[in-house]
Amino acid sequence: MESDSQLVARAQRGDQPAFAELVRRYSAPMFRLAVSILGREFIPEAEDVAQEVFLKVHRAIESFRGEAEFSSWIYRITFNQAVNLKARVRFRSPHEDETALDRAVSPEPAPDRQFETAQRDRALAECIRTLPEVYQSALRLYYWMDAGVGEVAALLGVPENTAKSYLHRARQLLHGMLTERGYSCD
Amino acid sequence: MEPRDAKIDRLLRRSMAAPVPSLPPDFEQRLMREVRRSSEPLDRYGRILLTGYGLISVVTSAVVMRGQGLDWRAIAVMILGPLALVAIVTRARRVARTTMRHSAR
Repeated sequence: MESDSQLVARAQRGDQPAFAELVRRYSAPMFRLAVSILGREFIPEAEDVAQEVFLKVHRAIESFRGEAEFSSWIYRITFNQAVNLKARVRFRSPHEDETALDRAVSPEPAPDRQFETAQRDRALAECIRTLPEVYQSALRLYYWMDAGVGEVAALLGVPENTAKSYLHRARQLLHGMLTERGYSCD
Repeated sequence: MEPRDAKIDRLLRRSMAAPVPSLPPDFEQRLMREVRRSSEPLDRYGRILLTGYGLISVVTSAVVMRGQGLDWRAIAVMILGPLALVAIVTRARRVARTTMRHSAR
């Protein structure tokens, strides 16, 4: 299998199959990263981010000098593109309510308990949205998309220990916020 | 993991459990179509439009500058100078890129 740098060198010479191979390798993780930043309410926008980033990369690939890994470069562009888009779509109504998806997979406890759980889940989702972008992204990748710490670190372009500390700090902050709002974490 | 951390960990796992989205199967095909379209050189119509725009702007600039009392030599320098600069920079970048690629091999 060809390495990324070999594929990039071929793509820089205008070889479209090489670029297509890079798309095959990176479209799924890029999409996961974009979704982790935008949240589950804006999945079509995450797809747009993935497409826009690849078009940008195609236009700029000649200027890529290989000083960093190609993956880090492409993830960095995706992160920035998704954060910029998030700032624009923040006030638009979401395609999907985050709690509606939770309900779709949750088992059916007693109605009272169900109501409490739904309220706490809504509060938790609100608290998550107030966290710094990297914490939100790390949480969604780890807890929703089942990514390992290694993948979280690679997608966010940080060492594994930093990814671990993002998750730890995010959990601490969320615990504090939920307690402040009168919810228990049990 | 501390007990407090473990509690919120369990809560997050339960609360964030939801189907994970994925890209549509035709994403790659659509993207590559878009890539090919964006990397095609301008078609005949695009070239005529761009040339027409360039000519009209050069003539308009020349007429306006002449109306301000500039002589034709100064007008020529002001119009051709930036064009020459763009041509030189483009060529220099192309040469630098080729040299870098050769030295990388």
